[in-house]
Amino acid sequence: MPLQHEHDFLVTGSHDEMNRQHYVSRLRMHILNQIGGGVRDVYENRVKPAFEKDKGRIPKNETEIHKAMMADHYGRTWSTMMVNCQDMVWDSVRPAIERAQPDLNDRVRGVNARYGSVTLNPDIAMPRYLEAADIHRMPGNYHTERAVDDATQGALYDRGRFVYNGGAAGPFADGIPRTMAAYIKARWPEFKPKRILELGCTIGTSTVPFVDAFPDAEVHAIDVSAPSLRYGHARAEALAKPIHFHQMNAEDLDFEDGSFDLIYSCIIFHETSRKAYPKILEECQRVLTSGGMMAHTELTPVANMSDFDAFYIDWDAYYNNEPFYKTYTSLDPQEWVTGAGFEQDKFFQVSIPDLDRSSSDAFADSVSNPTVADSKAARVGESARWYTYGAWK
Amino acid sequence: MSDEIKITPVNRGKRPAFFDDPAIDQLMAIVMAMSAEMSVLYDRVDTIERLLDKKGTLSRDDIEAFRPDQGVEDERNGRRNDYISRLFRIIREERETLVAHDKMDEYNALMDELAKS
Ligand SMILES: C[S@@+](CC[C@H](N)C(=O)[O-])C[C@H]1O[C@@H](n2cnc3c(N)ncnc32)[C@H](O)[C@@H]1O
Repeated sequence: MPLQHEHDFLVTGSHDEMNRQHYVSRLRMHILNQIGGGVRDVYENRVKPAFEKDKGRIPKNETEIHKAMMADHYGRTWSTMMVNCQDMVWDSVRPAIERAQPDLNDRVRGVNARYGSVTLNPDIAMPRYLEAADIHRMPGNYHTERAVDDATQGALYDRGRFVYNGGAAGPFADGIPRTMAAYIKARWPEFKPKRILELGCTIGTSTVPFVDAFPDAEVHAIDVSAPSLRYGHARAEALAKPIHFHQMNAEDLDFEDGSFDLIYSCIIFHETSRKAYPKILEECQRVLTSGGMMAHTELTPVANMSDFDAFYIDWDAYYNNEPFYKTYTSLDPQEWVTGAGFEQDKFFQVSIPDLDRSSSDAFADSVSNPTVADSKAARVGESARWYTYGAWK
Repeated sequence: MSDEIKITPVNRGKRPAFFDDPAIDQLMAIVMAMSAEMSVLYDRVDTIERLLDKKGTLSRDDIEAFRPDQGVEDERNGRRNDYISRLFRIIREERETLVAHDKMDEYNALMDELAKS
């Protein structure tokens, strides 16, 4: 697994802290793959037969599987390890970032913008779905401000997310957006967006690959969370990437009608709400130029999944502070996209093989023959395929 | 403006407990934390050995300043993975036993058969 690229604002930690972080990554991967990989075996070989013996039938849905699995000691051990490891991730990066403050905030504030910009809106209201829960159990979520001009949450996310992924998304933690950008270019080579907008950019790790892929485009990125944007702006400047960050709510964008050729997002919808989701799609429809495209990478809908896979992937909804996760995965994206005013035949969906973790043949195949992977239960970061959908306007 | 910043949870909610006795969840958390500290200690020893190999002397500053390159990191990850497998063997074994269950049935049938003949 690669080491994280160390830009000027990244906080790793002391000798021991860094090694602790690297260990937690490996531990998390072990729990996810080795122990998590056994959950299905335990279900098929122990839990399901016992249920059948008791009730004279097999579990009829995801909820029954969930209940039965959580009564089994393997399901419990796996779950308690998952939750605990999640907390260990944040705990392993926290002390170094606390120590780096308030100097880090001063340095972020002092950044001389040479490439891009950041525009904050102190009057913006934080959506309830972000305020209501520390998503992924990240202390303070993306938006909490602990000081004036605070960038703490950005630093926490940058390092914590890398530890969480165990480096699986590459040194820049950008596996998904790099894959998306490469895919868009490969499948629609004549599409040359002049203005690009990312929704829910957090610290811009998912924005940078689009700057690289479309060097002639003007790239904008929005998020509601100010600490993430401040940090993301400093990071982008350190990497010499021209990005214009704005603090906005994706449900209600301050951009003119028809002002972007490409609007995209990386795994943001499942952290919003049932009310917000269609509003964001409608904003995409409004702000896109005609002939423009939107593309969103998200969790695979559970309609394409077996009950067991649905139970497995929805675990996060129950225990990882993801209140909308389960509802979101039950929705049919095509229905909502057309509901937002896009035409049926302009809709597309595809599972794209991860650039780093698949063969170039598999990638090329998904370009010439786009299909949606069926029943591949995988949480974010676990899969080697990214379910992407969108539409042309 | 140099107020100290503490990174505290804001809305994390109640920590889920999975076992009937939440002390078991706590015990697992302690074991996992301990596993991390052992690994950190091992890495420190590894750093010391590498520095001694290279320079024959040591200073605390050298140890603190040591950062793994990709090669060292790959080696350490190999060792960490082996260590984790040994530590959590009992859980992996359970999975393997379950999957091998069919074979066990065959074996028991064979035993019965052999006992008879
Ligand atoms: C999972 S993170 C996105 C990760 C990021 N795209 C990446 O790939 O690194 C979700 C982000 O969406 C933001 N977000 C959620 N709802 C939003 C909304 N209505 N408007 C703008 N940003 C929103 C959150 O603040 C958070 O930064």
